[in-house]
Amino acid sequence: MNLCIALVAGNIIAACNSTRKPDFSTEVKPILNKHCISCHGGVKQSGGFSVLFREEALGVTKSGKPAIIPGHPERSEFIRRLTCKDPKERMPQKGEPLTQQEIQILTDWVKSGAEWGEHWAYVPPKAAPVPDQDHAIDYFINEKLEAEGLKAAAPADKMTLLRRVSLDLTGLPPTPEMAKQFAADNSPKAYEQIVDKLLQSPQFGERWASMWLDLARYSDSKGYERDNGRQIWRYRDWVIDAFNRDLPYDSFAIEQLAGDLLPNPTQAQLIATAFNRNTMSNDEGGTQDEEFRTAAVMDRVSTTMDVFQGVTIACVQCHSHPYDPFRFEDYYKLLAFLNNTRDEDTHMEHPKLRLYDSVSNEQVKHITNWVSANGNATQQQDVKEFLTVLEPKRHAHDCDQYINGALADTKYLGIRSGGSCRLPKQELTGKTRFLMNYWSGKPGGVMEIRLDSLSGKTLVTHQLAVTKGRLAINIPIPATTGVHDLYFIFRNPALPKEASVCGVEWFAFREELPGKGAPGYDNIAAKFMEVVNMQPEEVPVMVENPPSMYRPTHIFERGNWMVTGAEVKPDVPHSLNPFPANAPRNRLGLALWLTSDQNPLTARVMVNRLWEQLFGIGIVETLEDFGTQGFTPSHPKLLDYLAYNFMHRYKWHIKPLLREMVLSAAYQRSSVNTPELQEKDPANRLLARGPHFRLTAETVRDQALSVSGLLNANMHGPSIMPYQPENIWQSVWSGEYWKKAEDGNQYRRAVYVYQKRTSPYPSMVTFDGSSREVCLQRRIRTNTPLQALVTLNDPVYVETAVALAKQMHTQSKDPAACIRWGYERAMFKPIPETKLKVLLTLYNKALNTYRDNPAAACKLLQCSADTPEAPSAAALATVANALMNLDEFLTKS
Amino acid sequence: MSRYKKLIDEANKEHLRSITRRHFLMDCVTGLGAAALGSFLAGCGSSGAGSAIPNAVAADPMAPKAPHFPGKAKSVIYLHMAGAPSQLELFDYKPALQRLHNQLCPPSLLEGKKFAFIRGVPKMLGPQAVFKQHGASGAWISDHLPHFTAMADEVSFLKAVQTDQFNHGPAQLLMQTGSARLGRPSIGSWVTYGLGTENSNLPGFVVLTSGGKTPDAGKSIWGSGFLPSVYQGVQCRTKGDPVLFLSDPEGMDRDLRKASIDAINRINEEEYTAYGDPETLARISQYELAYKMQIAVPEVMNIQNEPDYIHEMYGTQPGKESFANNCLLARKLVEKGVRFVQLYDWGWDSHGTDENLAIDYGFRNKCREIDRPITALLQDLKQRGLLDETLVVWGGEFGRTPMQENRDGKEMPFLGRDHHVEAFTIWMAGAGIKKGFTWGETDEIGYAAVKGKVAINDIHATILQQLGFDHEKLTYQFQGRPFRLTDTGGKVITPILA
Repeated sequence: MNLCIALVAGNIIAACNSTRKPDFSTEVKPILNKHCISCHGGVKQSGGFSVLFREEALGVTKSGKPAIIPGHPERSEFIRRLTCKDPKERMPQKGEPLTQQEIQILTDWVKSGAEWGEHWAYVPPKAAPVPDQDHAIDYFINEKLEAEGLKAAAPADKMTLLRRVSLDLTGLPPTPEMAKQFAADNSPKAYEQIVDKLLQSPQFGERWASMWLDLARYSDSKGYERDNGRQIWRYRDWVIDAFNRDLPYDSFAIEQLAGDLLPNPTQAQLIATAFNRNTMSNDEGGTQDEEFRTAAVMDRVSTTMDVFQGVTIACVQCHSHPYDPFRFEDYYKLLAFLNNTRDEDTHMEHPKLRLYDSVSNEQVKHITNWVSANGNATQQQDVKEFLTVLEPKRHAHDCDQYINGALADTKYLGIRSGGSCRLPKQELTGKTRFLMNYWSGKPGGVMEIRLDSLSGKTLVTHQLAVTKGRLAINIPIPATTGVHDLYFIFRNPALPKEASVCGVEWFAFREELPGKGAPGYDNIAAKFMEVVNMQPEEVPVMVENPPSMYRPTHIFERGNWMVTGAEVKPDVPHSLNPFPANAPRNRLGLALWLTSDQNPLTARVMVNRLWEQLFGIGIVETLEDFGTQGFTPSHPKLLDYLAYNFMHRYKWHIKPLLREMVLSAAYQRSSVNTPELQEKDPANRLLARGPHFRLTAETVRDQALSVSGLLNANMHGPSIMPYQPENIWQSVWSGEYWKKAEDGNQYRRAVYVYQKRTSPYPSMVTFDGSSREVCLQRRIRTNTPLQALVTLNDPVYVETAVALAKQMHTQSKDPAACIRWGYERAMFKPIPETKLKVLLTLYNKALNTYRDNPAAACKLLQCSADTPEAPSAAALATVANALMNLDEFLTKS
Repeated sequence: MSRYKKLIDEANKEHLRSITRRHFLMDCVTGLGAAALGSFLAGCGSSGAGSAIPNAVAADPMAPKAPHFPGKAKSVIYLHMAGAPSQLELFDYKPALQRLHNQLCPPSLLEGKKFAFIRGVPKMLGPQAVFKQHGASGAWISDHLPHFTAMADEVSFLKAVQTDQFNHGPAQLLMQTGSARLGRPSIGSWVTYGLGTENSNLPGFVVLTSGGKTPDAGKSIWGSGFLPSVYQGVQCRTKGDPVLFLSDPEGMDRDLRKASIDAINRINEEEYTAYGDPETLARISQYELAYKMQIAVPEVMNIQNEPDYIHEMYGTQPGKESFANNCLLARKLVEKGVRFVQLYDWGWDSHGTDENLAIDYGFRNKCREIDRPITALLQDLKQRGLLDETLVVWGGEFGRTPMQENRDGKEMPFLGRDHHVEAFTIWMAGAGIKKGFTWGETDEIGYAAVKGKVAINDIHATILQQLGFDHEKLTYQFQGRPFRLTDTGGKVITPILA
């Protein structure tokens, strides 16, 4: 305590004796934000005074005078109000008075000219000179440790370090073989070599994908009330593969945001765009698709800024940012980049990438070859796009003016005999083919399409054949020019009054395939419809609107989508880097802007995320907020060094960056804490010691599976459903149910566990996993009794304990030897005798219990009643269960 | 417990200190000067920037704490009817609305207004219930709640509650966390943060759901937001393990479980000695608590042994998931010292889209399901002398329109009412709330509040007041500013205080 007082007093005295110039963004701005800006800032300007921008702060207030007079704190009302005794006058009016230290900083600041500075995070990182490129991280860390007079801990012991780096890079403990090899390797390069090996392991991608999927709000269900399933796991696999092949982070961002807009995108690049199809969609009856499409697009704006920029922008949808330089319009200008896609919150989640099998693919090629030979580039592009994603098309929900019919269940057209509806504003120039996806169970149905009014000219009349399920038909329509309202009339006098003539999901108006009249044309046209009617596997992806379907973007007054204001064009916030010259004003341009080396945030934010995964706490602790309300970095120069090198030295490659981090001495330190460090640096911000914190939800599961020998290392594929208690899913409208995985699939890694938004996998949320409704930037680690219940009692964890015990059992007849082996299998180092003693006592107690009651032993082991070794095996299982609940087992040390 | 008591105390102390420091550091340049200053302030007690609660320093985060002043309430039971019940069929009697039944809604009620489902010009819908006055207070209660009529002189009705959210999810969040957006702590989290719990063997904040579904807003409405997660609500289930994974594995008896937790903790103690991480101490205490919860939770969640007259009174059926069972459990939980019991009953969204959601059918059934239980809960608390120290709150997230819903401008198959934000009824009882009192008034058709208007954060302020808190002072420092349940508003509803 004496030390504290001395320090505080020291600061004040030091401040009094000098006319120091405080740093605006790290010293002054935090005080203004904390005490002043909520009444004098972006939202409110009480007394006509605001401290958001310099010109406002120095301007004349309601009193007729300026509140701040640069150079003269003694004449500045701003300073006087902080110290005056009268509670009516003293600022802040509602809060506690400022501390002496804070007042001193503000006084010095006014005295030194009240100059404004730009927030550090909005200035691009610059190259920093370091004496030794190979030990740059330690240079910055040590600099700070020395300044604070702290001594770095010794290096961690070899095997603890192996476990640490293996858990960090692959999310799994080392294999016993790897551990054996590493233990025996005394070369100075041993650690470096193991790091390189881990970076090359396919498990690397699975581990880092787990981090990314929280940001991408990846889920296997659609969310909201009904929360039905969604097939989008190919995106998860894309992320795993992208980390494994070390796709540079700029490409990683570009492909996810705008892979579809790249020239000749590959199938993988299209799948990458599912990143922004991970938004929730609402199937609840009575909801308007447009409302929830809008919600999804707004989520894409926030998520894009959250993930890549680490700034909170959601508040700007209603008003200018209260603290940061983002104006109300900026939000909608960003929205304009993301608003022009085909997805419209439909039940079927169009548009979806169609993944044809090899036979079907041949057919597709056959058609596209024909089009290449007979048509121009536009036609080639158009046919290719239609066969790839079935776009552009229009959905039943575009119809209005229903007579004797409705949008059934707010999803499909259901018109009764004699009824009609309107499809407004359809471009018909050049469109001589009408495609419609419909279904009908009763013969005799007729559809008529009229132009511009119910009594207008008949465009086409068509007999609706009975279908087996859904069918897309392709009808010729006479050539027409211009944009028209189309009236659809359905008849079938044979039907009862309440029955719909048919169901309709979508329409498309297309040009004739090129090469009409050439030999083989009819065959190609038939093949085309055959392919359209195939039902291949599909993945929701992003597809841009064609020019004729362009969506203008308007400001929503106070964030309300029903009240639109002025139209805005796509643009980026002017407080950040300029939009790249010649970049298109679409999602691709937005992605190029984000990944420009002039963008001040993208590299810093990602580097900080990776750092936090390894060290447990970010250089900027608030991963989610690099704005002026976020924490200031603990090591600003280190952050900028890493960010600059990420872009320029490593060309956005993540693996070498992680390699540099884990090869630093700071990373390799022992995590032993001392009372001195605990007192001076409880959160280990300065990294005098190594990381020591609980494993993530995913790693808790994966480690148990790995150590028990149950782990199924198969990669990729549909999500799996391991054991979960009954009655967890309460989706009354959906009819879907949890089907426990078998054949070893129940032992796959956590990254493959089925993610249902309204009902996340219980053991994962208990360990702070995300429910994936919206982008989660940082998991706050907790420590609760419910976690103990999971690893003690969840049948998944009991099964892993039994499996580990079975391995232990085969090692020796001597229980002490078995326990030694088990501990070493879990912790990769020999068990201390004191711990062995405790576990042996537990073993003996358990053995007595199970000898008295062999039936209980068999229950625990799930073996048949006549297994003679059951009591000793069950006693070992009790020990294994305890081992797998040890703090050291659940902690990365 | 005793074996680890010292360690656990130390753990809790460390945990609290680290929280305090974290939030102090948030606003400072990182460095030891700042860290030292943080511990300096924490040592000074309640007036420092780090601690918003008197006496909170150096205590178990869940240990009972004294509020700002002696409160009337020790516990809260909050009965939330998810989906929003119609005030016009229960408590807000409007004969004039009956006279307007089936007439087109006057344009003045529609201009500039937005509704969730009403389109165009709907018709007015008269009360679909028979009202009578009850008790000495003469409160109007409809025949939907025949048992509850006997409680007319126990409760205070708030008839002019207003919200600004007309969709379920956001409105439920606003009602339960004070904000329509995700991320704020729920009322129960604030209360356990402020008061701790009197029974550490049970969670301090318990959530019970009925009606076959969790509320629309999802599990976030009992989350702890930015408060430490020890303050989040724990959902107790009436089927299967009452708390997930509470049962020991098959084949492992209690004795052995005790022995294994002892072994785990003994080794963890050694680990703490070696590594000095306070989180290890916290883990030791969590394992102790888990063991105790394994005994205490099933005990309190078992209603089998309640006498017949109690089952008769509540209409409970052991083993079933029901609102009645949850009401009885709520009484048992507060009796055991649980601080905040939150009930959600789903199925009150009476739009008239189907029979179950018809205001003259499904709604009536929902009322029947709660009538006996809510009455029994008040009576039972009273006969045990608990009503004086238990605050009971009943209500939905908004009200229903005096107009009949005409979804998509069409006639609906059943009678229903749309979501209504301008006026609805909530009642409170017990713990210093006036008995047999009504506050607030709506216009003659129940559309707008005209007198005694109450905002959602006024309700929060009143709940905190009854627990002994000045709602403006129960704060938590987050992202550079002190947050509170009532945000920037909230006025205690003094007229209903006895």
